[in-house]
Amino acid sequence: MLVNAYSRKVFNLAYQFAGSYEEAEDLTQDIFFKLHNSIEKYDFEKNFTAWLLTLARNHLIDQYRKTKWEKKSRDEFNEHFLSADSRSGPEESAMVQESKKIVWDAFNHLSSEIRMAIILRDIQGKKYEEIAEIMELPLGTVKSRVNRGRLQLAKILKEKKGNKNGM
Amino acid sequence: MGCEKIEELLSPYIEDELTQEQKHSVEDHLRTCSNCAELLTLMRAAKESLASFPEVDVSGELTEKLYALPQKRKKLRFIPDILLRPSFQPIMAAATVLLTLVSFYAFHPERSAINRAIERQFHAGVSKVEKLYAEAGSFTHTLGQYKDNLLVSITNLNPFRGNEDKQPKT
Repeated sequence: MLVNAYSRKVFNLAYQFAGSYEEAEDLTQDIFFKLHNSIEKYDFEKNFTAWLLTLARNHLIDQYRKTKWEKKSRDEFNEHFLSADSRSGPEESAMVQESKKIVWDAFNHLSSEIRMAIILRDIQGKKYEEIAEIMELPLGTVKSRVNRGRLQLAKILKEKKGNKNGM
Repeated sequence: MGCEKIEELLSPYIEDELTQEQKHSVEDHLRTCSNCAELLTLMRAAKESLASFPEVDVSGELTEKLYALPQKRKKLRFIPDILLRPSFQPIMAAATVLLTLVSFYAFHPERSAINRAIERQFHAGVSKVEKLYAEAGSFTHTLGQYKDNLLVSITNLNPFRGNEDKQPKT
């Protein structure tokens, strides 16, 4: 039941954070293993999804700090994620794909904590209150991280654009 | 307001979280600052691009592995696999016998009597070993004597003394 209800959420969080399909599969297994081992600690008055995503977030950031996934494996994300958008024509689709690729490359330059905040807010569209619960941070800190992340991302994109025009 | 302060307000501006006064300040600034205006455009584009990343399906293989996880844990929690292997059974049987004997000794009401019996047996064993050792010593001594006698007999045999007999008498 837990697998049916939550594997997609956990896997997508791992995938968006790690950027590698295989790495995300391993990380999802680790997270579910941790879930089975610590389910007794779950407080039934709390939101289970938030509790599970906190567990996932802690594991992902810990693993990232320990191993510092290589940029090479993160690039694989493009193959799965940056597929052509079926709703638009081929020319437009190529532009969207290129734009997504540039954004994803810039996104990889952000620190792990800021990347996690941006994933939860801008990719998954969660409310700030939910993110604060998942990241176990005050609301103000979460907003500040998201704001900082967006600004850093815009600046990296501006720099990349400048380099491209300069060439 | 300077560019640095306006940059900090761009993200809340996108989210419409600013007061009317802050909003007017940002908009006034953006009309005159192309740098901040470009940052705002890029920020909006990045946000839009990130929001369009689709959710990925979990593979069937991963789902199977996830379902197998609790069973793995149950196995680990009770008995490790190595203890269930057939080759391990004689060791387990020996360990059971040993444990039975130890518990019989530990919980027997007349443990002191058992201790005395063990002590007696132990001393009897030690004295037997000592006796055997002494006998072995005397046997070695006898063997040595036999060896000496044998050597003397061999050297006195005629074939070795033949040349001495043939030497001319002076």
